[in-house]
Amino acid sequence: MKVRVETVARTTIVIPEGRLDFGAAANFQVQVEQALASAGQGPAALIIDCAGLEYISSAGLRVFLLAARGAQRSGFSFAVCSLHQPVREVFDLSGFSHVMTVLPDRASALAQLPGGSS
Amino acid sequence: MSAPAALSTGLPQNSGFRALAVRLVQGEGAYARRFDNLILALIVLSLMSVGLEAMSALPSWARTALKVEEFIVVAVFALEYALRLIATDNKLGFILSFYGVVDLLAIAPFFLSGLDTRFLRVLRVLRVLRVLKLQRRVLEATVAVRTRELAERNVALEQAQAQLKAELDVARAMQSAILPSAFPARAGCDGSARMTPASTMGGDFYDFIELPDGRIGIVMADVSGKGVPAAFFMAVSRTNLREQAVRFLDPGACLARTNDILCTQNPLDLFVTVFYGILDPITGRLSYANGGHNPPLIARVGGLVEPLDGAAALVLGVMPGVTYPNHAIELQPDDRLVLYTDGVTEAFNPFDEAYGLTRLVAQIRAHRTGTTEALIEQICSSVTDFAGVAPQSDDITLTALKWSPQ
Repeated sequence: MKVRVETVARTTIVIPEGRLDFGAAANFQVQVEQALASAGQGPAALIIDCAGLEYISSAGLRVFLLAARGAQRSGFSFAVCSLHQPVREVFDLSGFSHVMTVLPDRASALAQLPGGSS
Repeated sequence: MSAPAALSTGLPQNSGFRALAVRLVQGEGAYARRFDNLILALIVLSLMSVGLEAMSALPSWARTALKVEEFIVVAVFALEYALRLIATDNKLGFILSFYGVVDLLAIAPFFLSGLDTRFLRVLRVLRVLRVLKLQRRVLEATVAVRTRELAERNVALEQAQAQLKAELDVARAMQSAILPSAFPARAGCDGSARMTPASTMGGDFYDFIELPDGRIGIVMADVSGKGVPAAFFMAVSRTNLREQAVRFLDPGACLARTNDILCTQNPLDLFVTVFYGILDPITGRLSYANGGHNPPLIARVGGLVEPLDGAAALVLGVMPGVTYPNHAIELQPDDRLVLYTDGVTEAFNPFDEAYGLTRLVAQIRAHRTGTTEALIEQICSSVTDFAGVAPQSDDITLTALKWSPQ
């Protein structure tokens, strides 16, 4: 799995690509924690863009939970966007889509979060 | 590797002479060490004599001594060169190798200088190259020491690994031991379960709980992640769930209370998906609540296989205060209920395809009339066949139930 990080205005976008299983979760967690640490002071936002995410296991799902918690602690807004159907189903089944902001695409995530547009 | 015919020594590959050569120049024994020390001493001696010869005011007896010394040195070096050539399998490779060339140059001046005295001085300078022979000694000694250190470290590492594996095996055995081995004996009920753990410790578990009112609690759960943390959280989850199950005879209330407790005992932010159902063996009514787990499948006698209704609520351990809605279904005689974890549907084959719900449903439909044990056996072997040589990345856990009233 590959993880890319982009910055738009005050928003950090973490982009996991491929299969986020147990083996890939640790690296993804490091990337998310780095993104949170380097995002500076609020109002800032963290988006995880899942457009390239093909599969997610429960270990991968846990990193989304850590990201949401970390963002909350640092006073960032947080959203997940662009979920493909199989990944969306995992978010729905686990109830995660009810405890974090899940948006259809990056544009709407950037528009909705403070810090997304400068 | 075979040597070109022209360079062959003419000796059979395993002749006693060749074996002796190997023992002397490649071996590790006492003779090899003595031979090595002799060569080393001669290298140092000859380097010193090259320096001595350069001095002009040398008495003639010393010059004679140096000539004798040079003759002995070259003879031994030539012998060593021959032995190395005999000992090696790849003779051309040795001749053309760096140290092969160095060894040859270290003795060549002696033989060539007889041909034309004008070259004498130039060629004798080449003897300085013997310092490179010295370098080989140092390199070989260093390599030997490093190899020994590495071997010792490997042994220590292997011991540590073996101990870790032994401890993990114990932990895994304890993990399997706390799972119930049999479904509670009830007239009209038949239940079977199986967990096939992945090589890394997983966090799947199932449970059958005899409730005080005579009903049977049925649990299927999957802790996020793997390894020792997941196994610990599995044990904590199972203990709490069991404790609350006998206090709250309502699936939703039991999950809500368990969730609140797990949220206070979860330093690693793990979570657990839990399906919890309560079966009344007299009426066939199954009431249930679902904390983020794959909905179990019900196989009707007529052949219809479908997931149980009711949206799953949040997984347990994430945040307190979650409510878990209750649902219920009336089982018909001889219906089968199959509970599973995603290790079944997300078993991958070498082409990265998942086993999937469709294959699972097909297996259940095909084998729904036999015993629950046979049904589980069929599903497991179907998953194993599908995965082929691909490694099992997650626990594979299944429970099947049949209700047939007396």
